[in-house]
Amino acid sequence: MKANTQADLLLPTNEDTVGPYFPINFSDPLLEDLSQFESGITAQPQGVPIILKGRLLDRYGELANGTVVEFWQANAKGVYRSPKHEGDSDIDPWFWGYGRLRTESGEFEFKTIMPGPCADRAPNITITLFSDGISRIVTQIFFADQTGNASDPLLQSLSCEDQAKLSARHEGEADCGSKIYTIDIVMAGENEIPFFDDLIREGE
Amino acid sequence: MSNTGRQLKIGPTDNTSDQRTPRNRLRLIPEIARESFAPYVPQRGLSRQNDWDLTRIAPDLPRAEGVAIEVSGKLQNERGSPISNAMLEIWNANHFGRYRHIEDHSNIPLDEHFLGTGRVFTDSEGNYTFWTISPGAYLARPDIGRWRPKHIHISVSGGGSRLITQLYFPDEPNNASDPMAILMGDDFERNIGKPYETPKIDVDSGLNFDIVVGGRNAVYFE
Repeated sequence: MKANTQADLLLPTNEDTVGPYFPINFSDPLLEDLSQFESGITAQPQGVPIILKGRLLDRYGELANGTVVEFWQANAKGVYRSPKHEGDSDIDPWFWGYGRLRTESGEFEFKTIMPGPCADRAPNITITLFSDGISRIVTQIFFADQTGNASDPLLQSLSCEDQAKLSARHEGEADCGSKIYTIDIVMAGENEIPFFDDLIREGE
Repeated sequence: MSNTGRQLKIGPTDNTSDQRTPRNRLRLIPEIARESFAPYVPQRGLSRQNDWDLTRIAPDLPRAEGVAIEVSGKLQNERGSPISNAMLEIWNANHFGRYRHIEDHSNIPLDEHFLGTGRVFTDSEGNYTFWTISPGAYLARPDIGRWRPKHIHISVSGGGSRLITQLYFPDEPNNASDPMAILMGDDFERNIGKPYETPKIDVDSGLNFDIVVGGRNAVYFE
């Protein structure tokens, strides 16, 4: 295979659109509710259960149906379950931090726990969208009522208007006691939220 | 900051791409926040009987219509290290170009012996293999006569690797007009499988597709 001579790296396979027909039978209930561990097990993740209710909207304000949404977050103590933190005593054995769902309509409800702040970061959830018509796009959403937003380096790299677009609002409690947060993820056009480039680095 | 993020492009003749493609340039991620953008997908063992063989719904059932093919290749990162134990989720249209998906409302016939979805895992050397039916092309935009070329969807997840892509077939007349192929330009060639002969196994031909997971996906080197 041809290598990129500059860095002696292989050329990556192109990302492509997921298309409209991501198989619904690939769904995994465990990935849509991180506030629970596997059924029948006496165990529960640490932290405050929350429900993130989102709407994915296109440039005409229509719901972006059939989109695959992925979530990645730290546990209640602010630790990501990644190789870098292997053996960390603050790893929660009942919490993986990776979620995935496919929304038929463009609206979604993701059950999880409030991520803790970590290092210099405010609580946040990384959101990856795979949708018909586009390849993977990523962003991070925050929580308007949590502390640390004013000093988060990612939020502070954005205008006030853009910061607000990435802030989920607390809107009551569900019957099960979980705090409900809502966010509109406008993918294109007026009110488009910021998306981030995880391939190009600063200074490159 | 000395530069800005990428400007995403809209796929020509693709209405959904027009509706959903962000118009602003992607924003750069401050270095301190960069690692938080790289999900680490836990290994899951969700796999059913016959998931590697999409040519039959179950071992005791007849083969679906069309040309049976083997698809195989190696999964690796940009440095050429194999990625083992990653999950490939696979889906493709049947011989006629129809998905057995509840939202595919086209009039193209279903095949009673074709499901069209499966999962396989890479071995310790990063190799994977599955069988499927060579999918039909289908008319995506009847109003302008634009087709989707034959393609197989492949989603790779496992550890720090995450990629959703499509495998295309060589010498297909509709490849050139595909919106995503147009956006890929010369790089499209890397998403076309390489044919090989399969004299000793029960399929008609093979397609080699080595997959390189690039970019941020290689934050954690397996």
